[in-house]
Amino acid sequence: MPKVKTNRVKYPEGWELIEPTLSELQAKMREAENDPHDGKRKCETLWPIFKIAYQKSRYIFDLYHQRKEISNELYEFCLDQGYADRNLIAKWKKPGYERLCCLRCMQTRDHNFATACVCRVPKQLREEKVIECVHCGCKGCASGD
Amino acid sequence: MAHRLLRDHEADGWERADFPIICESCLGDNPYVRMTRAEYDKECKICTRPFTVFRWRPGRDARYKKTEICQTCSKLKNVCQVCLLDLEYGLPVQVRDTALSIDSNDAIPKSDVNREYFAEEHDRKARAGIDYESSYGKARPNDTILKLQRTTPYYKRNRAHICSFYIRGECTRGAECPYRHEMPVTGELSQQNIKDRYYGVNDPVALKLLGKAGEMTSLEAPEDESIKTLYVGGLDARVTEQDLRDHFYAHGEIESIKMVLQRACAFVTYTTREGAEKAAEELSNKLVIKGLRLKLMWGRPQTAKPESDGSDQARQQAAVAHSGLLPRAVISQQQNQDLGQGMPYYNNPPPPQQERSYYPSMDPQRMGALIPSQEGPPGGPSGSGENKPSMEKPQMQQHYTHPMMPPPPPGQYHHQPPHQYYPPPYGYMPPVPPYQQYPPPYSAQMVPSQPPAANHPYHHHPMQPGSSQTGSGQVGSGSAPAEAGTSASGSQQQ
Repeated sequence: MPKVKTNRVKYPEGWELIEPTLSELQAKMREAENDPHDGKRKCETLWPIFKIAYQKSRYIFDLYHQRKEISNELYEFCLDQGYADRNLIAKWKKPGYERLCCLRCMQTRDHNFATACVCRVPKQLREEKVIECVHCGCKGCASGD
Repeated sequence: MAHRLLRDHEADGWERADFPIICESCLGDNPYVRMTRAEYDKECKICTRPFTVFRWRPGRDARYKKTEICQTCSKLKNVCQVCLLDLEYGLPVQVRDTALSIDSNDAIPKSDVNREYFAEEHDRKARAGIDYESSYGKARPNDTILKLQRTTPYYKRNRAHICSFYIRGECTRGAECPYRHEMPVTGELSQQNIKDRYYGVNDPVALKLLGKAGEMTSLEAPEDESIKTLYVGGLDARVTEQDLRDHFYAHGEIESIKMVLQRACAFVTYTTREGAEKAAEELSNKLVIKGLRLKLMWGRPQTAKPESDGSDQARQQAAVAHSGLLPRAVISQQQNQDLGQGMPYYNNPPPPQQERSYYPSMDPQRMGALIPSQEGPPGGPSGSGENKPSMEKPQMQQHYTHPMMPPPPPGQYHHQPPHQYYPPPYGYMPPVPPYQQYPPPYSAQMVPSQPPAANHPYHHHPMQPGSSQTGSGQVGSGSAPAEAGTSASGSQQQ
């Protein structure tokens, strides 16, 4: 048989330090994916997925951009492997979107009247104080709050 | 229907619209409204044809509302697309149809293909601009309907629905739950069906409303057979005595008409009880003069004692349909006859030998003759005269009566008796110049009130002050003005 090239993952240095946390988050994600849907609304069943995805991305973003504890190589490696969402992190680098919950809440094309989701509205400007946005269950991701 | 599944909206007769046909309540209190329009989004709840659905939020504390029936169906019955209540009156279809005696129900088929066909045909005709007859614009506003209609928008129906999980105690959403956390009000009115409401058949809300309307309109005659005076409320400057006369003459001979402008009311006294009853029966809910809806009730003898809590009294009195005062009236009548109690008694039947006349010239008193003694019970229908004195009294006591004059807008479902009723200034002017009945202090007050009524042909303006001097507790009602110069009163004095 001809030689088939397989891609084998080569972990860059520094990986051992972040690997436990990332595994934990992965396990949580698997758990959320397999959760039964009983007692939850249809949209509510997806909220934990978004939440954990946010946590994973946040972890890596913090390590690299805020605390600067990992190398660029490791950072890119994590993004390529899917441990964090590149596009979401790109938004976090922009002013006003530092706490963006998910990419859907910001997309005006996805909403009536071309607005953003209600979770993007700062709490003081909102009428209802307690909300859970329908996309990701976010309770408020405006940068000010 | 297979042929409806796809494309060609025009050919299939699906409805397109640019703006919804909705009522004020459904539109909401906010002048800024963001509305989405979705073509062929849902099917009409009545005719099941696809139509343009509009969706908006009628105010901050409201749920999102959307059009439920298509414009064709809504135009057929002249109702709001969302709440299915009449566009002009805000009433259920059944109420409006019974009140206006419109019956278009036969024309609209209710079943299946027939219904869709009818709707499509109608829609096509409307789009082509063919004028179909619509009876809704042409119907004259009925008195009943004017009383039943809603005058102000009702935003409570825009509130969120009740949280069904909360009813069972299982609402896990807590504070962020957008539905109302209240217990539902169940009852006869809860079983409503959109088709029933639309076609005006078996609608519990409508039945309830009609029941109430039926009770409202009855104007029972007072027990005291001697009361021949009708109280007319809700007047304003536009209504003159001549207008009243024109409306009331048809039902019987008018003995007197007394207008009390200060209290926006008038008293019309007939010479016969039957005349009064006939007038009451025919005009009770249909009295509209110069576009002004007037309230018609039976008159009452004016009470002598000052009413400190006039409004309550008025209300209860009105509630009792004036019969409550009758006994007192009888007493006061006697008193009047003996010695005026200062209580103008409007209902006293004049002594038979009195001649009834409308004209001041026929009444010696009006022409300036002074009657030294009290004239006895007001015989003549000098209603206006009587009004005045009674008016004075309340005025003396409190001027609240004045603001209470105008009856509440007829739009409310609950028809309230006019508060001012309390000192029902009876339009029954005793023959004696009104001033006489009142103790002198009153007369001073009465004089200023003369001028407003001065235009009244029956005023005995000059006579009043003179007669007031005699002031022997004459029962006759104070204000000379509007004394329908009845010689009866004059003769009573004799």
